[in-house]
Amino acid sequence: MNSADKPEKEPKIWCDRVTVIKRNENGESATILDDVSLFAPEGESTCIIGPSGSGKSTLVRLFNRLDDPSSGAIYLKGEDISGIDPLLLRKRVAMVMQKPFMFDGTVLANLQRSFIYRGAPLPSAISPEILRVLELARLSAKILERSARSLSGGEQQRVNLARALTGEPELLLLDEPTSALDRPTADHLAATLHDICSSGRLTVIMVTHDLRLAEHTADKLVYLENGKVIETGETAGMLADPKTTEFGLFMAEPAWRKD
Amino acid sequence: MEKSQIVPIDILQLSLAFGLILVSAGLARLMRIGLEKQLLWASIRMVVQLLATGYLLHLVFAVNSPFPVILMLFAMTLFSLQVAGGRIKKKMPHFYRVVGSSIIIGCGGVTFYFSLLVVGYTPWFDPRYLIPLAGMIIGNAMNGAALAAERLDSEIHDRRDEIETALCLGATSGQASESAVRKAFGAALIPTMNTMAATGIVALPGMMTGQILSGTEPAVAVRYQIAIIFAITCAVAVTSFMIIIQGYRKYFTKAHQLK
Repeated sequence: MNSADKPEKEPKIWCDRVTVIKRNENGESATILDDVSLFAPEGESTCIIGPSGSGKSTLVRLFNRLDDPSSGAIYLKGEDISGIDPLLLRKRVAMVMQKPFMFDGTVLANLQRSFIYRGAPLPSAISPEILRVLELARLSAKILERSARSLSGGEQQRVNLARALTGEPELLLLDEPTSALDRPTADHLAATLHDICSSGRLTVIMVTHDLRLAEHTADKLVYLENGKVIETGETAGMLADPKTTEFGLFMAEPAWRKD
Repeated sequence: MEKSQIVPIDILQLSLAFGLILVSAGLARLMRIGLEKQLLWASIRMVVQLLATGYLLHLVFAVNSPFPVILMLFAMTLFSLQVAGGRIKKKMPHFYRVVGSSIIIGCGGVTFYFSLLVVGYTPWFDPRYLIPLAGMIIGNAMNGAALAAERLDSEIHDRRDEIETALCLGATSGQASESAVRKAFGAALIPTMNTMAATGIVALPGMMTGQILSGTEPAVAVRYQIAIIFAITCAVAVTSFMIIIQGYRKYFTKAHQLK
């Protein structure tokens, strides 16, 4: 292992030589993630970028144990997550999926979901728990009584974000949070994500193929290609001076700049 | 009483009946749908199967012992399992184990409740009662079982986003698949319920007409029919319930991960 992969102080999350091998429908096995090591510092936001099919989404699903790696380990504040009850882990590590799924019912009912699952008392529309997440996701309290499925894509993704934050997580995972949105809506949401990321209270790991979003929100970048970590570093430094040809080529692609 | 003696059918009479199949095949030929060979083949298959069953029943009736009766019930269960399995293209994980045990528990329980408590004939294994009753119960439960298993599989696949969103919010696999489970159970139960509501007006049930043909008082035959429909409904409900409750777990790992 490279010495660069080993964090100096204890990071929020440390992914140590993780490999994921999946079997496809024909029974052939394919390596999706190949010996991936990375860490995300406490209170910072780390962006995992790379072309589609690079294994980004597979990687982020390991952090809240939606999947488990074939080999290697992931540590949350030094504790191997394979030993943590997944239900408790998912309260500490929240996730916003690419496509916002809205449950039937009002926005408030959607925000109450995690309380229902945990068997906790349901917070009302004026409770501090609900007001806090509305504030973080930049949503007005008026939206609470609306049917969640009638909202626009951008509003749904904000509700999705607010809902993920209801459990007061210490780590927030965002899987391509803006990719289902049009450019202006995506930029608007990116500004909100920037505020959440820069507050320093929450550690954020975001997956995206959108370099512009990464540029605006991330302290640190991890560039993934074909299931391998190619390059990693501080956002500004990496964007100004790519060290690898792969990342240089990815940056040169016009796709991420198009409006 | 003269009336209670059913008119026997000899080979000549059976050949006259076969003429009816020839009429059907003739019509198929006339309309050039190319199905006449299949129609004849199906009728021959039916004849051979029924003759074999009739012969087997003759043997089982002759031996005054529960063992051949139980063996026959077991064979009926296996055949129903095979038919259900053949009908479903996308099978749930551990399909035969889940569906087999559910049919045995659901149909076995209802058949014995019905035989011992409702009808209460002696001896308990009397094949004249036990085999037709179990046959009707298993045959109907098999339809419900196939519907339940098929629908559960499609619901879980179609609701992947919903299920994983719920898991991310801290749901157990049971909580996350609640709507899939409910839909599958409804799908299994609805046809039986609809048939029940139409029975007596749209369709005269086979058992009742059979009993009337062989000389049973219509009032008695009707009571038998009512009782067996209750039993069938319960067998469908219990079997589908068992399939769904055992089945949904097979789509998840112990760590509440969708496979």
